[in-house]
Amino acid sequence: MVNENRKELIYDQLEIGEPLGAYEYLLTQEMLDAFRQSVGDPEAPYPTLAVKHDSTALQMVYYDNTGGVNAGNEVEFFNPPIPGKRIKVTGRVADKYARRDKPYLVIEATAIDEDGRLLEKLRTYQMKKPDEVGKKWHPQT
Amino acid sequence: MASTNIEIDQEIPSVTKAVTRQSIDLFESVGILDVQNIHNNEEIARQRLGTDYILASGRMSITFAAESLRKFFGPAVFNHTGTVNLKFLRPVTSGDTITVYGKVAHQEKVEQGTLVSVDIYCENQNRDKTAAGVGTAIVP
Repeated sequence: MVNENRKELIYDQLEIGEPLGAYEYLLTQEMLDAFRQSVGDPEAPYPTLAVKHDSTALQMVYYDNTGGVNAGNEVEFFNPPIPGKRIKVTGRVADKYARRDKPYLVIEATAIDEDGRLLEKLRTYQMKKPDEVGKKWHPQT
Repeated sequence: MASTNIEIDQEIPSVTKAVTRQSIDLFESVGILDVQNIHNNEEIARQRLGTDYILASGRMSITFAAESLRKFFGPAVFNHTGTVNLKFLRPVTSGDTITVYGKVAHQEKVEQGTLVSVDIYCENQNRDKTAAGVGTAIVP
């Protein structure tokens, strides 16, 4: 599913509004069951959170040797996805900015199902200097 | 003040979750890309973060917060109008126990009903905040 022609992610060259990967996948009952088991919630309705629509869209068009730390997520829920339906995702670069000399990238994805139901919008704030965060956390030795 | 039965400062149900290597691996297994990252590969976590442990995805904490909010608002409301906005403050890893807390902070009339905002945060077993933010839903 990953584009063989992926480009290297160079933060300075990313453009706000730039489209990321658009893709489809089949949501299976097994995915829903695994998600619910992983979070200990038998009624959890949005396994799409574990599919990470926005970062998946980014990884489909870029390979990222730096990585990033998830500084925050914003999610809007509209309709729970239904196992057995195909899910269509479109992603984009929503924003990028610097705060305290650290570069941030905001990626966004919108998901609808094969019937056109709007499911979820997800944004992730990635801090693109992950080693700085690691130092702050006083890693275990 | 909007006309719901919800009151400012009302607490939402807490949920407490034990995060294990198994639960992290299972969460990551739902993804559609087979990728190695800081959530499933200690070496990558070491290279990128300088940690010697993998991190649980922040989206696990989003899911925990969503469960608290769903229990408060009810699935018919939260699953169709809910939002969760969290900033991640500390890493969550295998062996941690995360508890979600929240209190109603604000209500306002909107076209579809009453928009209720809840201040939420997550704490680990040491009572360190691992995430903080806001959840909302529109109560008809």
